[in-house]
Amino acid sequence: MGKQMVMSVMSKDRPGIVADITGVIYKLQGDLADLNQSVLCDYFTMILIATFEDSVTPEDVVAAFSHIPSETRLEVVVKEMKIPMEIAKAKRSPETYILTAQGKNKSGLVHRISLFCYQHGINILDLATTLSGDQYTMILQLDFSAVESVDDIRSSLTSCAEEAGLSVVLQHEDIFKATSEITLF
Amino acid sequence: MLRSDHILATVEMIQKENLDVRAVTMGINLLDCRGGVVSETCRRVEEKIGTAAARFVETCNKVSQKYGIPVVNKRISVTPIAFVGAGFDRQGFVELALALDRAATAAGVDILGGFSAQVEKGMTATDREYIASIPEALARTTKLCASINIASSQKGINMDALALIGQTVKDLAEITREQNGFGAAKFVVFCNQPGDNPFMAGAIHGLEEADLVLNVGVSGPGVIARALDRLISARGRENLGLDDIAEEIKQTTFRVTRCGELIGRKVSEEMGIEFGVVDLSLAPTPTVGDSVGEILEILGVDVVGAPGSTAILAMLNDAVKKGGIFASKAVGGLSGAFIPVMEDEVLAAAVGSGALCLEKLEAMTCVCSVGLDMIPIPGSVDADTISAIIADEMALGMINNKTTAVRLIPIPGKEAGDLVSFGGLFGASPIMPVRNVGKSSRFIAWGGRIPAPIHSFKN
Repeated sequence: MGKQMVMSVMSKDRPGIVADITGVIYKLQGDLADLNQSVLCDYFTMILIATFEDSVTPEDVVAAFSHIPSETRLEVVVKEMKIPMEIAKAKRSPETYILTAQGKNKSGLVHRISLFCYQHGINILDLATTLSGDQYTMILQLDFSAVESVDDIRSSLTSCAEEAGLSVVLQHEDIFKATSEITLF
Repeated sequence: MLRSDHILATVEMIQKENLDVRAVTMGINLLDCRGGVVSETCRRVEEKIGTAAARFVETCNKVSQKYGIPVVNKRISVTPIAFVGAGFDRQGFVELALALDRAATAAGVDILGGFSAQVEKGMTATDREYIASIPEALARTTKLCASINIASSQKGINMDALALIGQTVKDLAEITREQNGFGAAKFVVFCNQPGDNPFMAGAIHGLEEADLVLNVGVSGPGVIARALDRLISARGRENLGLDDIAEEIKQTTFRVTRCGELIGRKVSEEMGIEFGVVDLSLAPTPTVGDSVGEILEILGVDVVGAPGSTAILAMLNDAVKKGGIFASKAVGGLSGAFIPVMEDEVLAAAVGSGALCLEKLEAMTCVCSVGLDMIPIPGSVDADTISAIIADEMALGMINNKTTAVRLIPIPGKEAGDLVSFGGLFGASPIMPVRNVGKSSRFIAWGGRIPAPIHSFKN
């Protein structure tokens, strides 16, 4: 079965960085599973999961990463996963909603929306925000499996957003799949 | 993984452009409801509809809430009633109409269609009794819609039925004179009527259908109009060609249709009923910004009815079909752009200014669905002239192998230019002038049939 580890890497972006990181894992005979990477204003970040042989420790992996050359030092965190990936994935809720919130930029907007989610038992699965001019846009994927009434959430969300000067739209994930993907059913 | 720009495009569509599902229509077969006597048949009809549609409205509301997309109308369509009431007399059909109206009210639906007959080749004695019952049946009910198929590309036009229908339209308007002849707005005459159309007044549950089926009507002229506005302001009119416009319409229609398909499939899944078709028609509503006429104006005619209107409508209709057909597993019904005058404020305004005349509308119906729809005409127009207008429209459908329909409303006691309003989804418009009134009686008097057209040597 081996040892599953989750790794997070952050550094200044440059060509070849993904090849270097995955090369380290390959050399340690790790088997790569899920991976997510993003570049924000020239800074590179990646979160990835891989399975190693039982003899490999998180410290070994960190040590191997430290040899990768980078303009800024590679920030690496490696943790051994307590719950196997398959079980963690199975917990993904079919009741995923997408919330978009747009408004004039000011500080505290993301905090306000994320606090609202926390107070209503909603877990944030994914969050991306962009600032364009003075317009701030947030897109959140939310787990609604613990929510009893979507209608109640909608109405309290609308008043919360109004206070913050945000216009919000809350829709089931299926709607976006339907309008953006070719295969539906 | 969903991309942010896709998410935001969909959000625009939902938030700013009033995306909705126009109608979820449940088709119910009533052929097994015929009893020995009228009252027994009525009881069985009410019972069957009551059982089949018990959770229908509730389920539509539930799905609509979950997805945050309104389902504007919940409707029922039934087997054309002349088949169900075979052998009944006029009074029997009126009783059946009342039973259907009660069943629709009990189920909580907005409207019920299928008080209908199919007489494109010949009329039975039952069909004649049915036609005679239409004015009283529609005057005494509130949720019932009637339709009749009097022509097809395979069988030709039944001119005997057509002559009766002109008078029926007049009688319908007269019997509902106090409501400005509103009865005629609930009755539509077809050539090539589809059996799976979810839109009213022409929805029926065709004989070819299963026992129960769910059809969805998606609309959204407002969504298309806003998408085009956005495209033109983003890229500049001078940098766009009509092929770019057609592409935008196609892609927008795809997204609109997908939402309708999703809602329809979820409702049918919850109810355990077979999903039929998505009808992807651009059906305007009297709401400002939900107009097909507005799209024509955005695309380049200053007023609907000006030369070019027909060409634009042809392109629009085709682009809508292309986008929708790829989006849906099964497309059916009418599927195209509607131009119902009273239900479209831009068309109504064009009638008021004299820019849009009956003859131009007739030309436009050659390239779109459905036909001369929701047109108020002077109450003084005689039955034969109405029959002859219908005959022209039926001929267009028959020769071009397409569905055409006529819903003319002769407004009792009013003349061309007077304003008439039915309110709600039925809208308002100035009365359309009709030229050459009283000059077609010798044609209508022939009766008989216009034979089916040849299906080869097409030039």
